[in-house]
Amino acid sequence: MDALIAASARALAAGDALGALQHVALRDDPPALALRGIAMAQLGEHGLARRLLQRARRAFGPREAVARARCLLAEAEVALALRELGGTAAALADAGATLQRHGDAVNALHARLVSARQWLLLGRLADARAVLDTLDAPRLPPTLAAVAALARAEVALRSLRSAEANEALAIAQQAARRSGVPSLMAEVAEARAALERPAARGLRAGRVQTLRLAEVETWLASDALVLDACRRGIARAGAWRSLARRPVLFTLAQALATAWPGDVERDVLIASAFRTRHPDETHRARLRVEIGRLRALLQGLATVDATPRGFALSPTAAGEVVVLLPPIDGGQASLLALLSDGAAWSTSALALALGQSQRSVQRALAELQAGGQMRAMGRARSRRWLAPPLIDFTTVLLLPAVLPGA
Amino acid sequence: MPETTTAPPAPHPASYPAATTAVIVREYGPFDGGHAIAGVSYDGRNVWAATCRQLVAFDPASGRVTRTLPHAGDAGTAFDGRHLWQIIESRIDKIDPATGEVLGSIPAPSGSHDSGLTWAEGSLWVGHHRGRRIHQIDPATGAIRRTLESNRFVTGVTWVDGELWHGTWEGDESELRRIDPDSGQVLQRLQMPPGTHVSGLEADGGDLFFAGGGGTGKVRAVRRPRT
Repeated sequence: MDALIAASARALAAGDALGALQHVALRDDPPALALRGIAMAQLGEHGLARRLLQRARRAFGPREAVARARCLLAEAEVALALRELGGTAAALADAGATLQRHGDAVNALHARLVSARQWLLLGRLADARAVLDTLDAPRLPPTLAAVAALARAEVALRSLRSAEANEALAIAQQAARRSGVPSLMAEVAEARAALERPAARGLRAGRVQTLRLAEVETWLASDALVLDACRRGIARAGAWRSLARRPVLFTLAQALATAWPGDVERDVLIASAFRTRHPDETHRARLRVEIGRLRALLQGLATVDATPRGFALSPTAAGEVVVLLPPIDGGQASLLALLSDGAAWSTSALALALGQSQRSVQRALAELQAGGQMRAMGRARSRRWLAPPLIDFTTVLLLPAVLPGA
Repeated sequence: MPETTTAPPAPHPASYPAATTAVIVREYGPFDGGHAIAGVSYDGRNVWAATCRQLVAFDPASGRVTRTLPHAGDAGTAFDGRHLWQIIESRIDKIDPATGEVLGSIPAPSGSHDSGLTWAEGSLWVGHHRGRRIHQIDPATGAIRRTLESNRFVTGVTWVDGELWHGTWEGDESELRRIDPDSGQVLQRLQMPPGTHVSGLEADGGDLFFAGGGGTGKVRAVRRPRT
């Protein structure tokens, strides 16, 4: 490193991005470009930061593999803050391997953490979890450890494991406190508050109550048969039958579960499932067919018995029947509840799950997106919808030291 | 010649001697909370290392820190027999080692790309990092007297027994080189073992070099081969 680069890096390490820029603002050699990029990222100029880091990476010589890998890592982190996630996964993995090979263990771990967060934002929980499991927690510096624990908490929350989420958040809190970064501590506090917010409403024995995530989990783990109107399916003691692609069956199941232990009249079922107030014989025939399909789908969990008036649900094992509803009523709430699994949904899949037309789902999605309650990725037919992250990392950029010798 | 270069390093000319592997005798540090070493010098008793935040003097026999001066350093450090010289930002400060007081400053020759620094025979010799050069300058004014070219990024510079040695660090490769002070011709090459690099260089006048270890925050004692 030469003197001004070192002076600039010294200013950056002390959090003085403007002082750092002052030293290298007029220079275009690769280390200066890299430092300018990092300083811009710290100042929140993400677009510019990314371009500078890209230029730096390309300008570093063929033998400066570590410097190039660090630039790519910083670029990936800035891209993450910009929510631009196109096609960096393989390059990031390569960069991580390069850093590992050259003995830069901390940045190699950092690279893996960034890729885990990319998977999270892409709605690929299994991939995110797999990468997070390879992170060696004791070797992480506090800032990285805090972000890793937050990412773990998000995976746990999306998979409805609140005990695991709580544990991860406790670790995140400790690490954030050790790091002394105020924004990181705020993120952890925010995430803990999210755990206390209403996650669903529960209908049990004719009474409705608001449920926090941990309570939802308790309900799902109990021996009750749970009709989950948030994620659209039926659960019992860990077993899960999805009805997301069977909107008619879901409507019937929901009507039957809501009425349990009573039965539901045929005409009422027809009105809710087929949306007609003037049923005739053909509707009754269709209802019998759909009930037959529902029976097949619920096999082992519950039976659907014919009664003099209509049909009634009865669980095969002892235990009650309860219903989980989205925290508030309405089409948008149903959409949000569906997306709370953290996975990426296509418009057609959402429309299918909700039994609505694609057009009306698109309209609701556009409104939710405008309100920041929903994210879209990709364009046209490959467009996918995701819930915004439960834990938002945008304010915390960890940014690796980019220079050789740093 | 541009100020800095993004060109890949030129292959070693056929006239270069073959490299031998440098022998690391001892490691010191890291000091000052593990900050990187920017420059290294030797005042006859103590080794001075410029970390990012201060100048640290340690006894090479015991490795114990004997002095610290609250003077940040960004690149090379030198000792002229009475004063320390330290590159910081785009200037070279002349420092009284007894008090830590800055007695004067001259502009650094390249204005910003300076790396290693040493004193010899009334001149300061300054490495120009990515410019792959060494400047000989007037310590009173900072004016450039002469320039030597290298084919690798120059880090530390030192004179010992009439020999001019400098460190290189480009990519993953780092060497200590003896060059002809008149022609710049490379006379001897010591290759640093893999994973060790030179940032800052000084000889103790005897059998050792002290080489800064960059981001590791260490100073390494390397055996000087006798010719």
